[in-house]
Amino acid sequence: ISKSPKKLPNGFYEKAAHNNTQRVVSVCKMYFLDYYCDMFDYVISRRQRTKKVLEYLEHKRAQNMSDQTLNMEWNGYIQQEHDVLRKRRLKPKHKDFE
Amino acid sequence: MAFLQNFHLSPGQTIRSTRGFKWNSGPNQQQQQQQQQSQEELPPSSSPLRAKENNARPFNDTSNNNTVYGGDPLLTTPIRSEPQLQQQQNVTDFNYTPSHQKPYIQPQSGTTVTTHQDIKHIVEMTLGSEGVLNQAVKLPRGEDENEWLAVHCVDFYNQINMLYGTITEFCSPQSCPRMIATNEYEYLWSKGKGIPPVSVSAPKYVEYLMRWCQDQFDDEAIFPAKKDGVFPERFIDKIIIPILRRLFRVYAHIYCHHFNEILELNLQTVLNTSFRHFCLFAEEFKLLRPADFGPLLELVTELRDR
Ligand SMILES: [Zn+2]
Repeated sequence: ISKSPKKLPNGFYEKAAHNNTQRVVSVCKMYFLDYYCDMFDYVISRRQRTKKVLEYLEHKRAQNMSDQTLNMEWNGYIQQEHDVLRKRRLKPKHKDFE
Repeated sequence: MAFLQNFHLSPGQTIRSTRGFKWNSGPNQQQQQQQQQSQEELPPSSSPLRAKENNARPFNDTSNNNTVYGGDPLLTTPIRSEPQLQQQQNVTDFNYTPSHQKPYIQPQSGTTVTTHQDIKHIVEMTLGSEGVLNQAVKLPRGEDENEWLAVHCVDFYNQINMLYGTITEFCSPQSCPRMIATNEYEYLWSKGKGIPPVSVSAPKYVEYLMRWCQDQFDDEAIFPAKKDGVFPERFIDKIIIPILRRLFRVYAHIYCHHFNEILELNLQTVLNTSFRHFCLFAEEFKLLRPADFGPLLELVTELRDR
């Protein structure tokens, strides 16, 4: 009956005012805020760790540590980082909010 | 909320609704009407959409004019070609326009903020500037590419789940009886090999899609959880790319059919950030082809060139 053009679906404001919608929206905003803070924190601190390890290895090389040992140390470090990254994928996630 | 309130939805920017009819009729009638509508709504240059775009985008007008009327070639932006304009005219429910993105790149100044908003503001500023996201998607030195892609794949799945979760009230089998993005793209769901793909409602499609992703994430042989677990052969081609290709369609549906709701809920920054991150990631590892971006190709170009 009423076909007047509107940009939002019927009952939008009623639905938007629902506690559930309000809750889901604020959870969503918090999720993204947390996600990006955490993600940047991870990326930046990982780079700092890598930089330190590289400096350390460079220092050791100057002290004539063998290439083999240097590689082992580097690989050991990489393996640790790899494990940390995998754990990030597996950390308990927010479950569906539908 | 204040930090997002510099968004101005002027009347010229509102999208002419093609939706009102959907709530007043039964399912069959709806489909017919929708098809009729899509045919009727393609008059050439007189389309209100076209007019709206000209009004709402003074920003791009110069490049438009340059291209169309042959202005100084040095100042012409090559992406604004005639075929693209033509294509835009044919889009009826083109629910995003570049002007919607503007506030995201114009940081607000002088707002009194609570601590909470302050953090948001910082993240916002960070995300809006100097390619921080471009940097963040790069493979860390020494890391296994499969693991890096797997982590991101799960992250984007979670982000999309969150985003879609906010509009579930507005995306119903009645409002969206088919999983479409503009009237030019419909995504069909195939329940398995040999079974012909079928047309399903948008919420059903998203439900199937999320379930399908989750099943793969839970499969130790595909997404190893154990310390010594390894990824399968050709993990990127066989697993990562198909998942991302499908996850993209949820962005496409939200942008094309629920962007007004997203605006009202003040989630446009979150959506744009998430989508931009997704695109930069896909680009960094060459995961999606332009064809995969279908209805959002223009937006993708724009986000990338920002
Ligand atoms: Zn929908």
